[in-house]
Amino acid sequence: MGGAAAYPVALDGGWRLALVTLEAVGKTFRGRTGSWEAVRDFTLDLAEGEFTCLLGTSGCGKTTVLNLLAGFEAPTTGRILLDGIPVRGPGAERGVVFQGHDSLYDWLSALDNIGFGLRLRGVPKRERRARAGHFLAMVGLEGQGAKHPAELSGGMKQRIQIARALAADPRILLMDEPFGALDAMTRATLQGELTRIWAETRKTVLFITHDIEEAVALSTRVAVMTRGPGGTLKAVIPVDLPFPRDRTSDGFMAVFRQVHALIHAEIVAPPARAEIDA
Amino acid sequence: MNRDGATTLLGYLAGFALLFLVWHLAAVLLVRSTLFPPPWPVLERGWVLLEDGLLQESVLASLRRILQGFLLGSAIGIPAGLAIGSFRWVRLLLEPWTEFFRFIPAVAMITVSVIWFGIGEESKVFLIAYTTVFVIIIATAAGVGAVTPDKIRAAQCLGASRTQVFALVALPATVPFILTGMRLAMANSFVTIVAAELVASNDGLGKMLWDARLFMQIEDIFVALVTLGLLGFATDRAFRLLIRAFAGRYNPTM
Ligand SMILES: Nc1ncnc2c1ncn2[C@@H]1O[C@H](COP(=O)(O)OP(=O)(O)OP(=O)(O)O)[C@@H](O)[C@H]1O
Ligand SMILES: [Mg+2]
Repeated sequence: MGGAAAYPVALDGGWRLALVTLEAVGKTFRGRTGSWEAVRDFTLDLAEGEFTCLLGTSGCGKTTVLNLLAGFEAPTTGRILLDGIPVRGPGAERGVVFQGHDSLYDWLSALDNIGFGLRLRGVPKRERRARAGHFLAMVGLEGQGAKHPAELSGGMKQRIQIARALAADPRILLMDEPFGALDAMTRATLQGELTRIWAETRKTVLFITHDIEEAVALSTRVAVMTRGPGGTLKAVIPVDLPFPRDRTSDGFMAVFRQVHALIHAEIVAPPARAEIDA
Repeated sequence: MNRDGATTLLGYLAGFALLFLVWHLAAVLLVRSTLFPPPWPVLERGWVLLEDGLLQESVLASLRRILQGFLLGSAIGIPAGLAIGSFRWVRLLLEPWTEFFRFIPAVAMITVSVIWFGIGEESKVFLIAYTTVFVIIIATAAGVGAVTPDKIRAAQCLGASRTQVFALVALPATVPFILTGMRLAMANSFVTIVAAELVASNDGLGKMLWDARLFMQIEDIFVALVTLGLLGFATDRAFRLLIRAFAGRYNPTM
């Protein structure tokens, strides 16, 4: 579907309708080792159709924010609203792409994995297969639907995860470092595909990463978190650049530098630096 | 796949040939006693027993008991294991049972089972079911516990209800564990049935062993032993094939 013109670039115009609202959200874990404040006073709006990257150092609470939004866990303080209604538990309107690929069903083929959400809704097999096939093609795996997860590479598994989440037609897609474990070339390919898919589907996306370049390349704005414990929102940087993005352009570099400076200030212990700069 | 099968078959045949060769050499060169016959007379005797229909009778009697007890044990063990793995309170309630009876071997229960059920079929079926049920419960519960949280969460955020999570995620993910438990339980069943039939029975392979000992028919003893080995081998292979069909897709080590 379409070339560069199809990408939504009017970033400052029509984003104001909040689909998801996190209001002063906090999460404290209580366990054997005492209590641990993972996220503190986190406030963020996600507008319909927006692609937000959540960026932060390791352990700052990114996954925790995603788990709260997905409804896997309940916030200790504050509230999370979807269309103004408080989130209570997981639901099909919030699709999740997990960091590992443990979440795929080993006993199902790639196609049946993608069609799993449709099966839950009682969509008949034939229609389910057809619709799953559409998303299989969308993630570039046409003709490989009969393979089982054990027969797929890491990158292919992440594509299946993305297709599975999309096939259930969620209102918002939550992605937790989906490309974190992939080699640089595969990651770049999948980043390109994700941008294309986002332009096609116009989904609202929350994408977690600790790769600054990835964040600037994919998103319409980058939300930077302070480091943990008690990570909170530090700044939101709009990325007002046209798609597809030229990573060597001056505009890209400028945003990169801006985000880098914010992140850099969060790193005090030297060992962590290598991880962020990588 | 087909060539693989042929290789496996050839390997197994060679392995068995070697086993019989070593047996032959040991009997003829090393032991040289009427108490340890070489393979050939044993096979001849086995053939005679087959023609008389006596061997089949014993085999069928033992296998029927194993099958009945095994199915009964599985029918109780699988749901119990699923419940223990899924609900904490069921686990707390039933763990004392499983952990208590697990350490009382079926062989130790023979006396009590004969007193309760007599020397007929019931006591054997009870013993096989007994030896089966705890192994399967433990394997099944472990399987439920091993389902990764991400698999369940993925289903939840695709809109799955609790029943759907159970039926479409937890259950299929547990099948390989259940089959592995059944495989272990089957091996236990062989041990148990022979012991039970040795002590109290009118037929079966254990009874055949016992009678042969009474009348010093050394070849008959060996026929029973070889038969047990072959039957066990065949059922275990069958289970492995089953496990592979269900689980091999995603667990290439099996
Ligand atoms: N279930 C839990 N129980 C106790 N502490 C937890 C739990 N989950 C997360 N934490 C703690 O909360 C903090 C934030 O964890 P989180 O997984 O959200 O970090 P993250 O930003 O996703 O890090 P990374 O980039 O390494 O994935 C960590 O210190 C972690 O130890
Ligand atoms: Mg994380």
